[in-house]
Amino acid sequence: MLVLRALSLEANHGYGIAQIIRSRSGEAFAVETGSLYPALHRLERQKWVKSEWKLTESKQRAKYYQLTASGRKQLVTDHERWLELVRAIGAVMGAEVEA
Amino acid sequence: MRIRPWQRAKQDLSEELNSHLRMAIAGRIANGENPTQARAAALRELGNVPLIKDVTREQLGWVWLENMLYDLRHALQQLRRSPAFTATALLTLALGIGANLGVFQLLYAIVLADLPVPQPTEVVRVHAARSPFDQSWTISSPAYERLRAATPDTPLMATAYANDATFQLPNHSPVQVACEPVSDNYFSGLGVVPAAGRLFVQADGRIGQDEWPAVLRYEFARNTFGSAAHAVGQHILRNKKEFLVVGVAHRRFLGDVTGRAPDIWFPLALQTTGAFAIPWDSLGPGHDVSLDKPWYNQPTIFWLFLTARIAPERRAAVLAHWDQVFRTDRELMTEATADQATKTQLLSVKTTFAPLSENGMRKRFMSPLTLLMALSASIFLVGCLNLASLQLARLDARSHELGIRMALGASRYRLIRQIFLEDGLVVAIGSICAYACGRVASGILIRWVSNRNAVFTLDLHPNLPLAALGVGLMLVSLISFSIIPALLFIRSSVAQTAGSSARIAGSDKTARQRLRSNVLLSTQVGLSLLLSTMSACFSATLVHWETVDVGMDREHVLTVRPDFHQPKYTDYPELLPALYSQIQERLQALPGVRSAAVEMCGGIHCGWITALYVQGSSNLTDGQVHGQEDHVGLGFFSTLGIPFLRGRDFSSSDTKGGQPVAIVNRAYARQLFGDADPIGHLVGYGPAPADHKFMIIGEVADARVNGAQREEPPVVYMNINQNPAPVNSIRVRAVGDPRALSESVRRALSDIDPTLTVDEILPLSAELNGDLGTETLLARLAGIYAGLTLLLVSIGFYGVMSSRTRRRKREFGIRLALGATRGHVQALILSQTGLILLAGVLPGAVISILALRTASHLLYGSVNANALAIIVASVVLALAGTVATLIPARRAAYADPLETLRDE
Repeated sequence: MLVLRALSLEANHGYGIAQIIRSRSGEAFAVETGSLYPALHRLERQKWVKSEWKLTESKQRAKYYQLTASGRKQLVTDHERWLELVRAIGAVMGAEVEA
Repeated sequence: MRIRPWQRAKQDLSEELNSHLRMAIAGRIANGENPTQARAAALRELGNVPLIKDVTREQLGWVWLENMLYDLRHALQQLRRSPAFTATALLTLALGIGANLGVFQLLYAIVLADLPVPQPTEVVRVHAARSPFDQSWTISSPAYERLRAATPDTPLMATAYANDATFQLPNHSPVQVACEPVSDNYFSGLGVVPAAGRLFVQADGRIGQDEWPAVLRYEFARNTFGSAAHAVGQHILRNKKEFLVVGVAHRRFLGDVTGRAPDIWFPLALQTTGAFAIPWDSLGPGHDVSLDKPWYNQPTIFWLFLTARIAPERRAAVLAHWDQVFRTDRELMTEATADQATKTQLLSVKTTFAPLSENGMRKRFMSPLTLLMALSASIFLVGCLNLASLQLARLDARSHELGIRMALGASRYRLIRQIFLEDGLVVAIGSICAYACGRVASGILIRWVSNRNAVFTLDLHPNLPLAALGVGLMLVSLISFSIIPALLFIRSSVAQTAGSSARIAGSDKTARQRLRSNVLLSTQVGLSLLLSTMSACFSATLVHWETVDVGMDREHVLTVRPDFHQPKYTDYPELLPALYSQIQERLQALPGVRSAAVEMCGGIHCGWITALYVQGSSNLTDGQVHGQEDHVGLGFFSTLGIPFLRGRDFSSSDTKGGQPVAIVNRAYARQLFGDADPIGHLVGYGPAPADHKFMIIGEVADARVNGAQREEPPVVYMNINQNPAPVNSIRVRAVGDPRALSESVRRALSDIDPTLTVDEILPLSAELNGDLGTETLLARLAGIYAGLTLLLVSIGFYGVMSSRTRRRKREFGIRLALGATRGHVQALILSQTGLILLAGVLPGAVISILALRTASHLLYGSVNANALAIIVASVVLALAGTVATLIPARRAAYADPLETLRDE
């Protein structure tokens, strides 16, 4: 879900995705390369993202991933489910716990 | 080179990770780290690159295929590394499975296959009545027409048997073809479709056409004209009569008689042209028969076989109707006998159906082929056992390597998969070889099994049962040769044998292994004994029939088959005696020729059935009067080496106008006169009021003129000069090898008459041995099998004993050092072989005796005499086993004990 969200604005390469997730989460999530690439390739096989080779700003060849229509739909569903989960957990946890 | 998709994916991934790394380093440098540190940090962050690659690639789903290809390459390497094992395995599989496929193909084509037409079970033979003399299921043409008209909605087809005939083909030398005259509804009734052109229609049955239609067999059309389509519209000639090829039958249709595939089919009406020799039967001489006139309107010439297509539920009603229609013909047919009881019995016969599968071929080959199938299965079994023990030994030898690989982290599953793949590869390649082997084998088998006079033509197209058998055998061999040994091996635990402790593995385990290989070996010995015994018995049977006394000089007589069926001879029969005597004189003048004579019969299996009634004895039964008849020229008996028992031979004074004379053989004389002297008695073809004009002037010894395996039939010989007719053979007796005379005889005949064609020249022995198809097949195939198993068993002994002596090298070294003689060591090893042999021979002998009992009808000689073969086979086996063991035994015994001990 995080990967899909990172791709929702624009197409990006693996390194860029890792950077986006890391910076947005305020350095809380450091996405392991060992999980990122299998995930990307799995998403590609599920046809939620598609990839193509492009040149980066620094003129280097890199593989860019882009959300597909079904990937975007998946992101919406995942996002809704996530909000529901957050709401549900928030309702249970309620106000601050007294120490 | 084309890049495979998984290779591209692999490259892509590498490049992607590389670009990631580069960007990460660039990012860190931009943040102010120094390049070396940045690179190290980035690499650290990236982690285990090959692992990432592996995990990522698994997402793509190509990995298993890649691994498979790797394993396949590994398997090929392994196989190349042990060429002896691979070759043995491939050869064993190719021959073991190939032999089974070859024999099964034959069994299927002869015994199991249905006619390749729609609803083959609806097609049946119709048995109306047996013809009076030949006892064949033939009826007359008018009777057939009546039966066919009586049931218009039931296709009733008629066929006749025609002798092979020589044809002139365009752009082709004349060929001898098998032909079959059939009724116009033959193909439509059977449901055969054409491969090209059309098949017969009603108009084709018309009498008196200028150009006769012909339908060709697919293979014949292809071999002669290049293709089925090319054949249509071609003209072929027989005795200056023109035939037009109107069509070619479906490629799988080889006629309705198993094994005998006609090359050309003609309408029945062709009989009127006299262009073909068609066997017939009649009520006998004296009845109203004109063979020279067309047969279609003669109710007393029986020459048509009937076949019908009829659904089972309608059969009873149709039969009853036909019996009614056939009544008058049945009454007519009883006129052939004077025996009142026989007459009544003939009248009570009812028309019946018989399935097409009930034929002579099937009866003859059912049990030999089943037996061969069993023998083939045994050789396959021996092969599998041999491979299993080879494989066990091989795995044992590789246990160290496999153990190390497991210790290094290879998964057990992957290892097993590699082993299976290796074996699967062997089995797959072996099966392909086996298929090729089987194709070749069935071709050779057909030639062996065929009569000399009729080479069988069988449908050898691959079929479903054959494929099923092939796959089944493949699986069995895979299980026995790979899966079971692998499982046994895995159970004895790879890891345990991995270390150096392998050498001193528990004695319990080695004992079990030894027992296992002993059992495998003795089973092979037992089966090999069975095959050797059968082979010996079949060979003895073949030799017996090839050398049995047939009452004729089988080694020195040459049979020449001239074609006198041309108008220049048939239209002037009165000129023939002079021609015959000219031929005889000319041939007898040739060097190396003792005598020559003409004969109506074209060889063995020929004499036609006749009836002889004796003047003055009225109460002879059919069994007494029936015998065979042949018309022969002067000097026939001395030429064939048939001795005279009483009376005299034919002489030049027996002429057409004089007293008709006859010579009977002992069997006929005994039938007609008991032990009384037959000379001077008058005989004739019919009972009392009929003319008894033939005077018996001589009695000759019996001869097996119907083939070496048949009883001597009663034969009456008439003088051909008193009733001149074209002969079908000229017999020449040579001083030495008759084959050497072939060319000079051919030249001499063409000197006398250049237009006389000679169809064939062959020795009498070849003619007689031509019948021994079954015996030849059994003897040769069993011989090959026995040789193969003997070889396999020898290899087995050698392999097992050498690996054992290697393992016990140390022990032998100690024994020798302690004072055992080399003889002792050899005896020790040989005694093991002896025990295995004994354990195999005893059950093998029991199976062999059982097999001999079941196969006794195929063997000559008593079961006890054949049991002797078991002893001979055992001795041969024991010798082979001992020799195969002696090699490793000697090696062990002559090794230097000090060397051996130092090696440890």
